Amino acid sequence: MPTFSLNINGKDYSIDAEPEMPLLWAIRDYAGLTGTKFSCGIAQCGACIVHIDGAPVKSCSFPLSAVAGKRITTIEGLSENNDHPVQVAWIEEQVPQCGYCQSGQIMAAVALLDQNPNPSDEEIDMAMTGVLCRCGTYPRIKKAIRKASKLS
Amino acid sequence: MNFELPALNRRDFVKLISLSGTALVIGCVPNGQGNEEIKKINLSKDFDVNQFIVINKEGGIILFNHRPEMGQGTFQSIPMILAEELEVDISSVEIRPSEANRDLYGSQMVVGSRSIQTEYMNLRKMGAAAREVFIEAAANRWQVPKENCRAENGMVVHDDHQASYAELVEDASKLPLSADPILKDHKDFKIIGTSVARRDIPSKTNGSAIFGMDITVPDMLYASIERSAVFLGTVVSFNEDELLKMPGVQHVFKTQRTVYGRERHGVAVLANTYWQALQARKALKIVWDDKGLEKNTTESILNTYKLEARKPGVELFKNGDSNKLLGSKDIISEEYITPYQSHVPMEPMNAIVRVANGEAEFWGSTQNPNGIREHIAQQAGIEDPYKVKINYTYMGGGFGRRSMTDVVEEATDLSIKSGKAVKVIWTREDDMTQGPFRAASFNVLKGKLDSEGNIEALEHKVVAQEIQNQTGDNMEAGGQLMGGINIDYTIPHFTVKGVLQKNYVPISYWRAVYHSTNPFAHESFIDELAHKTGKDPAQYRLDMLPEDNRFTEVLKRVMEEAHWSEKKEGIGKGIAICERSGAYFAMIVEVIKGEKGIKPIKITTAVDVGTCINPDTVKAQTEGSIVMGLTAAIKSGLEIENGRIKQQNFDTYKLLELSETPEIVTVVMKNTLPPDGAGEAGLPTVAPALANAIFDLTGKRLRRLPMDLNEV
Ligand code: FES
Ligand code: FES
Repeated sequence: MPTFSLNINGKDYSIDAEPEMPLLWAIRDYAGLTGTKFSCGIAQCGACIVHIDGAPVKSCSFPLSAVAGKRITTIEGLSENNDHPVQVAWIEEQVPQCGYCQSGQIMAAVALLDQNPNPSDEEIDMAMTGVLCRCGTYPRIKKAIRKASKLS
Repeated sequence: MNFELPALNRRDFVKLISLSGTALVIGCVPNGQGNEEIKKINLSKDFDVNQFIVINKEGGIILFNHRPEMGQGTFQSIPMILAEELEVDISSVEIRPSEANRDLYGSQMVVGSRSIQTEYMNLRKMGAAAREVFIEAAANRWQVPKENCRAENGMVVHDDHQASYAELVEDASKLPLSADPILKDHKDFKIIGTSVARRDIPSKTNGSAIFGMDITVPDMLYASIERSAVFLGTVVSFNEDELLKMPGVQHVFKTQRTVYGRERHGVAVLANTYWQALQARKALKIVWDDKGLEKNTTESILNTYKLEARKPGVELFKNGDSNKLLGSKDIISEEYITPYQSHVPMEPMNAIVRVANGEAEFWGSTQNPNGIREHIAQQAGIEDPYKVKINYTYMGGGFGRRSMTDVVEEATDLSIKSGKAVKVIWTREDDMTQGPFRAASFNVLKGKLDSEGNIEALEHKVVAQEIQNQTGDNMEAGGQLMGGINIDYTIPHFTVKGVLQKNYVPISYWRAVYHSTNPFAHESFIDELAHKTGKDPAQYRLDMLPEDNRFTEVLKRVMEEAHWSEKKEGIGKGIAICERSGAYFAMIVEVIKGEKGIKPIKITTAVDVGTCINPDTVKAQTEGSIVMGLTAAIKSGLEIENGRIKQQNFDTYKLLELSETPEIVTVVMKNTLPPDGAGEAGLPTVAPALANAIFDLTGKRLRRLPMDLNEV
């Protein structure tokens, strides 16, 4: 089995696994970072979103072989003290219910705001498409993104 | 293991208490007559308690709660009730889940939005009883009348003295506790009725909240299971030898689980990593005996239901004699259809079980910790169920699915067979195609209007499967089938009938259960009758409801909030009402016609949940219920093809997206009645209010879910 070296949240990991194994499982089962979630496995729900060189990627559908040398950020790497503006806004708006989808929601929102600090409603709609929440926290997600955009 | 909320067992409790010195420990104890009593307890001796509080010498207040949190915010609401009566700051109450233990804590099941309902009075009494002994201890110490002392902010205060609960706890613990403490008046509430931030939320914004899916235990194998796609198929053969050669694969076993009395078969691949198990599963070649079930389709089942609807059925509710009137001419009759639905919690089902040396342990997320303990004990032949240790975590959504023990049964079976701890992880496809599902239904409604257009006679016939009667020969429809049908409407001749169906598709509880289907038919039909008479549909409903009814109040409130009587060009409005778990709600949906068909733009709800503990939680639950209701109304529906579920994943079973979520306005009514379940309010009314709005805008009546908004 080949060895891959991964840089996740600034830390180096070396992982022995099949090259076609999705990055998601490397993050969860090898690096032990469980904040990134598995839900659909086919790039349809967004629970597994991480940033690769700053861009949002659905890690369940991204092979390990394609990440060598890239910078990976997971929800755990967003801030030391849960104080990234998006996290602050999320707490203020009391967004999560069960919480399972929220890492993906937050990572998608962060990527959006990094690119576009003042998104319009349509831009928010677009960026958050394909990031599903069965608990129905969308109204609050929308509010929190607007709030975070003011905070940052 | 790092659980966000460690469930402590009794040994730990006792240790905790001895460490912290003398403490006041008050429990809620079943008295054997179905009621509970509040009394002081000794944790090393009294085992028969429900939730209890420990107030120690350091001033710590710990509330041990016996029901899991599923994301509905009860871990916030419950300490609020206690803090209110105890007169302490909410932040000084720590809440811990108790370990699963039916003898100690009774039912710990979280279903039907009942957590708050059951605990409300108990928690208030516990808080009030504790407050009273603190006041008494202080009055004794200061030699003053206790009437001149009051409790506030964790202190007892007198004109000349004050002392904290921590200072008083030793004295207080020696005093007898009043069985009937005086509860605070509603108007004096400082905490109940205010929006308090939930404590679990920070851990759900940085990835630190732990779900069943996140747990690993030493020396564990991962299992992925291929199950019969037609539910009741049996395994004829499979390519075990080939699979055992694949990377990481340790075992390939036949396995099974029980779903409402029926065995369901599969083949499990156990490997070192989940990815390896999944890969090997893809290489499985199983020969199934599908038993002819592969001939079923959505339409074949629906056709059976339609034929069955001709049967008289069982009268589940009767007022007057609608049979006679509806046999005559001038009958209005319509049919409504709802599909099977999947729960699809975002966290796919999973469980870890280790069975070894006459003991067992479970790790995972569940709505039903006791059911799991008993199930594992029985399955593994462990005589003393308390040799099964239950570790439960946050749930990534339940919606009824996590009240079942079927996944645990698979994990237990595989742990027994392999001798290892086994983590079974369902894929999304497993979750979507295996069920059990929300029941599909066929509804026939008949009505007759009198000369003034009032409903003289109404019959609602429900043709559906019943959760508690899925197998066997008993074809008598039960009351469960009429869930959500509003019998508060004053209709002189009103009958609800059920025609029980049995088929091989497994069903179970799904958020709001039959309330998620029947009101679509019922509240659509009432609307149709209103339009036939040319009356305003909201007023039509009001005219059929008694004056001081809780329905009347939410109806009037929502009409006001959404400006019901103002007609706006290009906007259709629809209304519907429902009661669920004691909560009353009325909803108005507004729609427009856009480029891509009809679009719901705003949903306004007035909800009466009795005493509202935490309005923000009620709002959040209502928003969530609306999104789930809208998903079921316009996005998702399961179809059956070749005997199996056609939709496999979110690419074909669509959930509502953020961009499709309309503006949601929720008004929480003020009320002093005991609190009712808020976890499902809003779901049942979405489909009918939407259908009614579409009719208002377009004159088109949609009677089958999910509605295709692009087609209108
Ligand atoms: S798990 Fe990756 S998108 Fe759903
Ligand atoms: S918060 Fe539960 S799935 Fe989004």
